[in-house]
Amino acid sequence: MVYWILLQKSFMRNLQYKVAHLINNAASAIFGFVFIAIWAGVLQGKEQNSPYDVMDMTYYIAAAQCILWVSGFLTAGLNIQNGVRNGAISLELVRPTNFFLYVTSQEAGRLVYNFFFRSVPIGLVFAITVGFYVPQNVLSYLFICISILLAIIISVNLHYLVGISACWTTEVAWAHFVNFTLLAGLGGQMVPIDFLPAPLSVLTQYLPFAGAIYYPVMVFLEKASHDVIWIQLFWAIALTLLNLWITERARQKLEIQGG
Amino acid sequence: MIVADQLNKHFKIYETKKGFIGSFTSLVSTKHHVVKAVNDISFNIREGEFVGYIGPNGAGKSTTIKMLSGILHPTGGNIEVAGLSPQKRRKEVARKIGIVFGQRTQLWWDLPLRDSFDILKEMYKVPDAKYQQFLKLYDDLLQIGKFMNTPVRKLSLGQRMRGDLAAAMIHDPDVLFLDEPTIGLDVNAKTSIRSFLKELNTKEKKTILLTTHDMDDIEQLCSRVIVINHGQIVLDGTLEELRRNIGLPSVMEVQYRERPKNVTAKLNGIEKMRWDHDKLVLMYDRSVLSSPSLLQEVTKWGEPVDIQMKEPDIEEVIQKIY
Amino acid sequence: MNLYLKLLSGSLRSRMQYKMNFLVSSLSYGLIMAVDFVLLAAILQRFDDVKGWNLYEVGLLYGISSVAITLYRVFGVEIHNFERYMVEGEFDSLLIRPVSPLSLLLTKNLDLSRIGGTAQGVIILVISIIGLRLDSFDRLLLLLYLPVSIASGTVICFSLGLLTATLAFWTQRIKDFQTFTLYAPFNAANYPMNIYPGWLKIIFFTVIPVGFMNYTPVLFILDKGGSIWNLALPPAVALAFLFFALRFWQFGIRHYHSTGS
Repeated sequence: MVYWILLQKSFMRNLQYKVAHLINNAASAIFGFVFIAIWAGVLQGKEQNSPYDVMDMTYYIAAAQCILWVSGFLTAGLNIQNGVRNGAISLELVRPTNFFLYVTSQEAGRLVYNFFFRSVPIGLVFAITVGFYVPQNVLSYLFICISILLAIIISVNLHYLVGISACWTTEVAWAHFVNFTLLAGLGGQMVPIDFLPAPLSVLTQYLPFAGAIYYPVMVFLEKASHDVIWIQLFWAIALTLLNLWITERARQKLEIQGG
Repeated sequence: MIVADQLNKHFKIYETKKGFIGSFTSLVSTKHHVVKAVNDISFNIREGEFVGYIGPNGAGKSTTIKMLSGILHPTGGNIEVAGLSPQKRRKEVARKIGIVFGQRTQLWWDLPLRDSFDILKEMYKVPDAKYQQFLKLYDDLLQIGKFMNTPVRKLSLGQRMRGDLAAAMIHDPDVLFLDEPTIGLDVNAKTSIRSFLKELNTKEKKTILLTTHDMDDIEQLCSRVIVINHGQIVLDGTLEELRRNIGLPSVMEVQYRERPKNVTAKLNGIEKMRWDHDKLVLMYDRSVLSSPSLLQEVTKWGEPVDIQMKEPDIEEVIQKIY
Repeated sequence: MNLYLKLLSGSLRSRMQYKMNFLVSSLSYGLIMAVDFVLLAAILQRFDDVKGWNLYEVGLLYGISSVAITLYRVFGVEIHNFERYMVEGEFDSLLIRPVSPLSLLLTKNLDLSRIGGTAQGVIILVISIIGLRLDSFDRLLLLLYLPVSIASGTVICFSLGLLTATLAFWTQRIKDFQTFTLYAPFNAANYPMNIYPGWLKIIFFTVIPVGFMNYTPVLFILDKGGSIWNLALPPAVALAFLFFALRFWQFGIRHYHSTGS
């Protein structure tokens, strides 16, 4: 299966830089420590007014910093924009492979790599220094896996959407900025979305961004009902269908205009 | 004008592990071997000379140029360019030399050519009057006026190279280092750049050091040739001396409909002849025997179906001989 | 100076060829930083303060730190992206000019899209100064001191950027260091230093001295502790650090002269 091979190749390619990435992991952990310190400072003496105590927030930030590497820090536009710029996309679209799967399977390889060489080491750093939550219920592990998988699918789709928009706009740097900001801000990277001010805290629960970071973290911490997976599933399917449709439109556009 | 005295450049090649940490451990590790990129080179180039500096890839050409321009400091020996040591007084030397790297432009990529010139004018503190004179003269010589207002990224390779050459001359340097200025250009562009360089040398009396892969550059421009290989000078002399030493024949390959029986090279200038399968390979000296007259001769021997001319690959020849 | 103006105007014009892109990228860059602060505001609206620092007090720190790092990103773009010169071997072309490589780098390019971030930082500062309701003497002191603080912060940031860039003479690539030496520390400096565990505090007041640019002087100005010397420390530390960074840069260039890569 060609997509499986693409995934493996991408994994191996990233493996070359693993030492550089390990240094970067230290910085990523420092970001986590800063967020944890902020929450510890904020909640000091006020834990009774908050749904979460300092330990909860420590676990939350630690888990979010790990999950970010598989569902937050993806390749900008999945590099589709490069193909648009140099014209290679016309060739890639007419290949007998499915373009959507062709692009996303390569990203998947990178994310598998990120899981082992970013998420796990960063999680270990937190486990040693400030503690890392261990889910208690055996059944939770199944839901955690499903939730993380859906989070990845949602995020890959969001990034694909940014990348494929290059067929119409050529420049996607700003779209990536906006997408990432929304993902981190409304996805709950630093602030659990139920802490957001009133209208936002309700609205964000139903946006795809929460499905990429907030829900998998809450499922991992066993603080969310398993029903949230349905919201994630909805977005995973909806975004995938949307992208397949847009890819078809891009193909038609390129066929008519010849790139 | 350009003096190199027992010039040496040795690189320590550390045994590094691959990857990121490897580059760090090389900081503390002492395991290494020494590569002598330039090994005891001496030459003296006088004012107004046009010297070709040639040799195979990795022979030490660009290392020498980098040392002459002050980018690299020699491990041993002395350099003087326009009377100054580029190692000790890099910025002063920079004012007296012009450098062109054929492979990469010195111009500002997104700006029109004119803006690049304006910036360089300020950088080298060229007076206004001189600058106007420069613009006019180089428009005459290189016809850069036509694309002065085009961003550099939109210029053709030939136009860009003309712009680069003019940019290197903006501060009216006495010495020019040209690193493969004709690489990748088409025949027309090459011709116009060569005639420009010729003019610089003869009329403006600029001292020029040129590295190139193109034998025609050498033949048409250089009064003197320095050949290096493995970091050492293997020949320093005139074009004639180079020819005598390594021949530098032109090559013609002829394929006949039927292999002729009587092939006799009576013509003066044919240096060698051999059969490569059913192709006849002739090596000849173009300065003695012109290609058309040789062509005439080979058609007498039989009916050719295909004729190919080949320039000798200078790198290959040098590597083979030394 | 004339040369500098020429180079700057050149850089400006080459940027302006992509007007739309420039506008949108500066807007989105401002947005990305603003969201961070809005989230902080959301937390502090609910919980009042973080270890005794209210929203406007934190905003003061946040604004200084944001303005400092974005000014560095505007003016030091070529220093920040220095690994390109090593990886693609473009450093040679800086060494053939009659001007020092550092001045060439500083004048080669401006990243104006980062101005959006600077503007956002200034807005946060304005909101914070109004919200703080200081008495007129303290407000005057703060307004007079802000430029010093921002300048010190920018110099500290520039020095850190230069130190990191110098590493490229040995390691070629530096992007992965920058997260460690620039992004993470400046993110940390958005918030008061007293919230951090001891070992982090030590780092931020020694090897990566970001604590000096805003926390030290603001502590005194807001009557949270320290003496008048807290105002003298930031420029002193910034200059000393700059001196050290320049020396290290020179050392790196000497290394390049002898090895060439």
